[in-house]
Amino acid sequence: MNALAKKWRQDKGSIDFVQVVIGLMIISAASVGTLQALYYGYEQLDYEMRYRKAISIARTYVEEIQGRIHCNFDPNDPAEQQFQAGNLASPIVWRLDVRKPRDIDPSGFDDIFCYVSHGRLIPKDDPLTGTGVDHWRINVFLTWWEPGESPTVPPNQISFEATMVPAAL
Amino acid sequence: MGKLGHKLKRDSGWTFIEATLSIVVMSIMILGLTIVLLAFREHLDRSWALRAMDQYGNDALEMLTHEMRNGVDVTVRLTGDTDRITVKWLDPWVADLIHSDLWYADLRAAQIKKNNKPIDELFPPRRLRRGESYQIVKFWLLKYGEIRPGMDVRDMDNPKERLDAFSRSKAYKEATYTIWLTLRYTRGAINPGDKNWKFEKTYKNTVYLRNKNLVFQKGIIGT
Repeated sequence: MNALAKKWRQDKGSIDFVQVVIGLMIISAASVGTLQALYYGYEQLDYEMRYRKAISIARTYVEEIQGRIHCNFDPNDPAEQQFQAGNLASPIVWRLDVRKPRDIDPSGFDDIFCYVSHGRLIPKDDPLTGTGVDHWRINVFLTWWEPGESPTVPPNQISFEATMVPAAL
Repeated sequence: MGKLGHKLKRDSGWTFIEATLSIVVMSIMILGLTIVLLAFREHLDRSWALRAMDQYGNDALEMLTHEMRNGVDVTVRLTGDTDRITVKWLDPWVADLIHSDLWYADLRAAQIKKNNKPIDELFPPRRLRRGESYQIVKFWLLKYGEIRPGMDVRDMDNPKERLDAFSRSKAYKEATYTIWLTLRYTRGAINPGDKNWKFEKTYKNTVYLRNKNLVFQKGIIGT
């Protein structure tokens, strides 16, 4: 065997093929783990943005109810009694997240919707004031499911409690 | 121990084919890893820029909401995609003294300004990379149930608001406003000739002006 062939076949201080393959498998596993962590982190950030949007929608709904109570809400009016009773059994559907831009998905097929409702408006009368109903207590609930979640699992929920003084007009 | 076992336990070094294959596989792995790391970095940069934009959008909305909740009146002047909003509020110490604050969007600087001062000096970030930019697309103040040209039904959170507005009183509609703020972040494409990446988000808040529909208003604003 000549000197060059001997040099190729020498084994001092080197690793063999099996060790290289095992090393590469470990690197592959690490890369897959990194990508999965990246994907999971991205989903979590999306969830947090939706959570903040849900809070914003719940606040908007509370504000609208407060406005209605403050303007000319008459609990004795039959038209307002349904509003006073609440709509927990038939929540309103609002859009929570537009997942794909309009130019890519004009139909909004994978948009996420939330269900907004309020409980019975509870009148609170402080006997010391003697002016009738002093304020109304409002409870608002907002629920939604994350993409990929089955409707059979408990939904994500936000609830707000607020008060409002009655009509001042 | 069979022939295969002998072959695997042989420790007499590499053959040329083994060495070549190892180098080829390692090169592919390193190339893949480099691409993964670059994509990871691009993702992180985008995420950070979007979070900064999100923070600003929410902050701007909260500041204006707070002012309108305490204000006694608001006027809106429509100027295309952005409105000039004047919020009037009473002086806490002097009776019958009314202050007003002007809110508007400076499209060139991509900032919301109150009385000609930016509400946040740190937005947009000073050190933007090549191809990065922030824009204010819309800054509207809409009455309850109001629609504007160019509005898409998918932009409305409550699609039945327009219908519900017909049942609401005038006093309610005159005092309930929705703030719309749309921000856009654009990032240059990695390969020249590709489309730039952009992300647009609309921030909305509904405010009821509690102090607008009060009886004592008649002696102050002169309505």
